[in-house]
Amino acid sequence: MLACAVPHRSAQLFLLALASLPGLTLRALAAAMLVSSALPAAAETEHPVVVGVSWSHFQEERWKIDEASLVAALGVRGARYLSADAQSSAEKQLADLENLVTRGADVLVVVAHDPDALRPALASARAAGIPVVAYDRLIESPDVFYLSFDNRRVGQIQAEQILAVRPGGRFAFIKGSPQDPNTEFVYAGQLDVLRPAIDAGRVQVVGDQYVDGWLPEVAQRVTEQILTRNGGRVDAFVCSNDGMAGGVAAALASGGRSGVPVSGQDGDQAALNRIALGRQTVSVWKDSRALGRAAAEVSVALAGGVRPEQIAGAQTFTTPGGVRVPALLLEPVAITRENLDRVIEAGWASRGAVCRGVAAGPEAPPACRPKP
Amino acid sequence: MSPEALSASDATRARVSAPGARTGAMLIALGVLWLALDVATGGLFLSPRNLVNLAVQASAVGVMATGMVLVIVARQIDLSIGSVLGFTGMVIAGLQVEDGLPGGPLPWPIALCAGIALACAIGAWHGAWVAYARLPAFVATLAGLLVFRGAAWLVSDGRTLAPLDATYTRIGGGLHGTIGATATWWLAAAISAGIAASRLSGWRRAPSSGGLARIALPAASLFGTVIAIAAIANSVPAPDGSPAGLPLPVLVLGAVALAVHGLATRTRFGRHVFAIGGNPRAAELAGIDVRGVTLRAFTLLGALAGVAAVLTTARLGAGTNSMGTLAELAVIAAAVLGGTSLAGGAGSVGGALLGALWMQSLENGMVLLDVTSALRQVAIGLVLLIAVAADARWRGAAP
Repeated sequence: MLACAVPHRSAQLFLLALASLPGLTLRALAAAMLVSSALPAAAETEHPVVVGVSWSHFQEERWKIDEASLVAALGVRGARYLSADAQSSAEKQLADLENLVTRGADVLVVVAHDPDALRPALASARAAGIPVVAYDRLIESPDVFYLSFDNRRVGQIQAEQILAVRPGGRFAFIKGSPQDPNTEFVYAGQLDVLRPAIDAGRVQVVGDQYVDGWLPEVAQRVTEQILTRNGGRVDAFVCSNDGMAGGVAAALASGGRSGVPVSGQDGDQAALNRIALGRQTVSVWKDSRALGRAAAEVSVALAGGVRPEQIAGAQTFTTPGGVRVPALLLEPVAITRENLDRVIEAGWASRGAVCRGVAAGPEAPPACRPKP
Repeated sequence: MSPEALSASDATRARVSAPGARTGAMLIALGVLWLALDVATGGLFLSPRNLVNLAVQASAVGVMATGMVLVIVARQIDLSIGSVLGFTGMVIAGLQVEDGLPGGPLPWPIALCAGIALACAIGAWHGAWVAYARLPAFVATLAGLLVFRGAAWLVSDGRTLAPLDATYTRIGGGLHGTIGATATWWLAAAISAGIAASRLSGWRRAPSSGGLARIALPAASLFGTVIAIAAIANSVPAPDGSPAGLPLPVLVLGAVALAVHGLATRTRFGRHVFAIGGNPRAAELAGIDVRGVTLRAFTLLGALAGVAAVLTTARLGAGTNSMGTLAELAVIAAAVLGGTSLAGGAGSVGGALLGALWMQSLENGMVLLDVTSALRQVAIGLVLLIAVAADARWRGAAP
């Protein structure tokens, strides 16, 4: 994948290893060799854009999905891909960013491990005129482009899907951890949609609780108490993620209740199965392949001199710290029983796992009916 | 002096029986709390369904608290059990779902037994570091807290493992997880008969301790409790409308508590635990195998963390890697609230159960009152502080 002129991947790796060593002389030497070895390749292919990606912790399964779509999309655009894995170390990521620049990156895509620890590298990138894209994790700096999913939209979709099956009644909120900023984004989105119905009296809020650490077993106990408090008369649970939705669904099932709408997010395999079984209404799915494709588009455009605000769909995002950054926030997808095929065809979950325990027949969700 | 002579000494007797009066005080305080919560919730708190919920919600922490009593009495501590719960729960779930661990899916009884055996081995692992490598228990089990929380994630790379076997999830007390009216009454009758038999045999052995009337009153109050619990459980309807009866997690908790109480008060192992806690040096000089006893106390607690893992996964119907996060603190709080002294040597299983019930009552009642999670934490923390301080003053000793 590394299309440098150094013939063998193992030799490149050796040089890279040298480049990341602390000894300054050796490091500079190795870096210089890498740069010079990259030059002829660049000349042959009319200066392809070089995109340097710094991963925070590549061992997590999801980033492999991001990478595959990012690399494919870069290939289509004739751009080159360089990468480094910071292995959850802020110091290593700082060195990685310097190395990526030394290796000829025209644009940096960063999954920040600790955004504040990256300031020196970001400053030198700015000085060198290299654009930076903050991938999935916000970096609060006005000249870093923020690319992520719209978390407020996640909450809106959850509430919309619940309202689609239960237009009114007694609703309870199961919110995430009070320490997590995402909790408030999602809750704000839920209220965006439900506020008019609450003000009109169509929706009554009969429970509203945070769940420390997003723990499913705590969500289960809280749900039991909300049900007790209301004599079992709760018409819908607006729940913020799939793990907690599992706890809510277990509490509902142990009381023998079925058909109570429950929302979630993440596209967890267990949640997709609950949707197929009719025990959960919606899981808001953030397709990391779409994020990877968008990163390829944005980074190549920025490297080509396109201004951040000229990128299609870009907006100004005000961070929790009050910094206004250019951003592209992707629309998450609602997965319901009608479109379970979407996650299966994307290779996110297998049909067997999604449809486990679903009785075949006309009642089954479309994804779990035998294909003609 | 032989170990038996030492353990039968008056000092040890006093330590073991001292919690009796204290337990009475705690029961009264719990009664007051329950009445207050019932009034505040407009009669919801003491409704049969909520009492059953409360018992089920307290069961996993209660199971672990019984074992924690012995570990703390022996002057040790175990911070790892929440993580051990998470890890063994993930293994139990991973062994029975289709795309879980290699070698699966196995029938649920095998997965269950393998999980508890694993938890036992982990308990022994911590116990060995403490007893034989002479590491402070705080350090050895803090390491365990980190290791097994990470291991819980690694079982499935963080993926939730579901759905679990429908029969297995009954153990969690959910759908079909109760034993029904008839079995509940039979069980109540059997327990009452057991109480009568043990009281009578106690009176026959030592008739000088008072007339039959003297044992009749405590026995009658115990009968009353047993019958009340059975009646409450039977007045809750199952989803099909029939009386639900006792939920399985509560039965598991009862059986574990009886067994650990028996172990603590009726066996040589139990006497040795209290002797070590009272004075480790003297116990060693008296010929007690301090290391072996310590190892076994940790092993027992590990096994109970495995039982709690079964209850938690069965109740959730899934294995999630975050299960049991911070449970070790709830368990230690329950044991301490129940009169277990962190200085070692004093504590009782009954007290720890009451402590667990106290903590869960506060949590349960305050959610009914729609109190936010942050305020609940503040309230529970303050209650723990005040209860233990009051207890220390009352006993005139350090907690």
